Amino acid sequence: MRKSWRNELIFAAIAISAPLIVILLIQFTPLPPISEMKFARESLSEAKMNNADTYSKTAFNKAKMYYDSAMINWQKENQKFIFSRNYEHVARLAKLSAKTANQSYENSVSSTSNLKIKIKQKIDSLNDLLSENTELFTTYPLTSDTRNRISMGKMLLREAEIAYGKGQYQQANRKMTDAEYLITDSYNNASSNLKNYFKSFTTWKSWVDKTINTSKKNSDYSIIIDKFSRKCFVYQGGTKKYEFDAELGRNWVGGKRAKGDKATPEGMYKIAKKIDSNKTKYYKALLLDYPNDEDRERFRAEISRGSLPPNATIGGLIEIHGNGGKGIDWTEGCIALTDKEMDIVFKIAKAGTPVTIVGSTVDLQYVDKR
Amino acid sequence: MKNKVLMGLAAIAMVAVLSSCGKKPQAEIDATNAAIAAAKTAEAAVYVPAEFTAVQDSMTAIMADITVQESKLFKKFGPAKLKLESTLALANKVAADAAAKKEEVKKEVETTLTGIKTVIEENKTLMSKAPRGKEGAAVLEQIKTEMATIEASVVEAQGLYDKGSYMDALNKIKAANDRATGINTELKEAIDKVKGKGKPAVAAKPAPKPAAKPAAKPAAKPAAKPAPKK
Repeated sequence: MRKSWRNELIFAAIAISAPLIVILLIQFTPLPPISEMKFARESLSEAKMNNADTYSKTAFNKAKMYYDSAMINWQKENQKFIFSRNYEHVARLAKLSAKTANQSYENSVSSTSNLKIKIKQKIDSLNDLLSENTELFTTYPLTSDTRNRISMGKMLLREAEIAYGKGQYQQANRKMTDAEYLITDSYNNASSNLKNYFKSFTTWKSWVDKTINTSKKNSDYSIIIDKFSRKCFVYQGGTKKYEFDAELGRNWVGGKRAKGDKATPEGMYKIAKKIDSNKTKYYKALLLDYPNDEDRERFRAEISRGSLPPNATIGGLIEIHGNGGKGIDWTEGCIALTDKEMDIVFKIAKAGTPVTIVGSTVDLQYVDKR
Repeated sequence: MKNKVLMGLAAIAMVAVLSSCGKKPQAEIDATNAAIAAAKTAEAAVYVPAEFTAVQDSMTAIMADITVQESKLFKKFGPAKLKLESTLALANKVAADAAAKKEEVKKEVETTLTGIKTVIEENKTLMSKAPRGKEGAAVLEQIKTEMATIEASVVEAQGLYDKGSYMDALNKIKAANDRATGINTELKEAIDKVKGKGKPAVAAKPAPKPAAKPAAKPAAKPAAKPAPKK
């Protein structure tokens, strides 16, 4: 009987103390930083949704590193005896992670917005530049290298537009930057060359004025060739009577320097000889008195300073002739008209008729506006 | 005796229950991680980025829940196990979706590559028929250069396709296709314009009418100041 009382007492003691022990264990168990970790996780998630891993990569990666470190530390603490655990460091890392993630989110939103605006502006400005210059440079020849660069620039610009449309702003920015370099650099070079070309405009203008005055004074015909516009103007008595399209030498930019350079010369000339159709393969021809004294002087100067090889010759046989109408500059330096128009010019011209060849009869500002 | 046996059985049952709830579902964790890795290998980050991010976030949350349970005296991994099962299924779906999307992009690249080659050939034919006025010739020269750039882009896109970078290939070939199509439209319009006016396809500019018609462009104006002698 006494033995059963004792067993029941022991059982009761265990039954009462066991839950007490459990309650005490729960009470004094250190609490892990659940809410801090949750907040850090949510902050990272929101930052990533706003592309912080792309547009604020450094900060985002740092935030992720803090979170991962917090997890590792948390798991380490969990390995320890329950009352030895200390989650303060974990909580600190979690807070750092959340703070850095929020910073990366804000940076990303700001960067994305700024980048988007910048890219759109640049794309629009490049498209405007291309439109503005297309017409100008259909007349003035671009080198094949320049054309290639502009073409590559256009392709990259289109790739930038596609990436922009997909919200891939970093890729769009890269493509657009490359496109901008190719296009603006090419047009800057071409524009610089064009400005150089027009440096002689004052001289050309004086030649044109003299030629028109001569036509007026003599009540006779004079011919003016405008290379930039590819025009042949026929004046009679100081008034323009005819205007024809002209085709020039392949390297028409600048004056003629030597034989074989396929350049159309610039200067004040006269018709030296009329050549009938049976004596030329170009329908009819008017031979000019190129080279004149200025041409010879310039040629001699180039030879003596070595800018032309010593065995170079000045060239000649520059004519106004027929067989034109091909739509391209194809001659060896001559001025080609259509056969029908050549008939008109051939009829009115004679030996001694002034023929003035200039780079342009209008200045660059007028060309730009036109 | 009977009581002792009953108490012993109760103790064993209690230990069994507690230990089964308290076991970290490592096998399930490993399986889910493997499925996510497989989705990454299937380029889910490229082809279905939002879905892939969602599954990664889900796993991150589950690991945090598991760590919370490990912090406790009486661990309960039951809910985490259930979440792991659904995340595993999701990861498998993401991998499958990525593969399907990749195949779709691949097909689009193939179609565009075939299409652009046709447009390029057509452009070459159209160029031979395009009007060759004074400005037409210069424009054709520029178009010829652009066609060369387009063909170079096609080669690059083909290279990216052969490497399996279908998304990059698609972006490149789309840009090239847009340029080629633009040129195609430009050439057709130019040819139709010439046909519509009844002029021959290879047109020389018509001769201007004689003096009775005033010249459209200004004649050279008299010099305001004397020009320097050349």
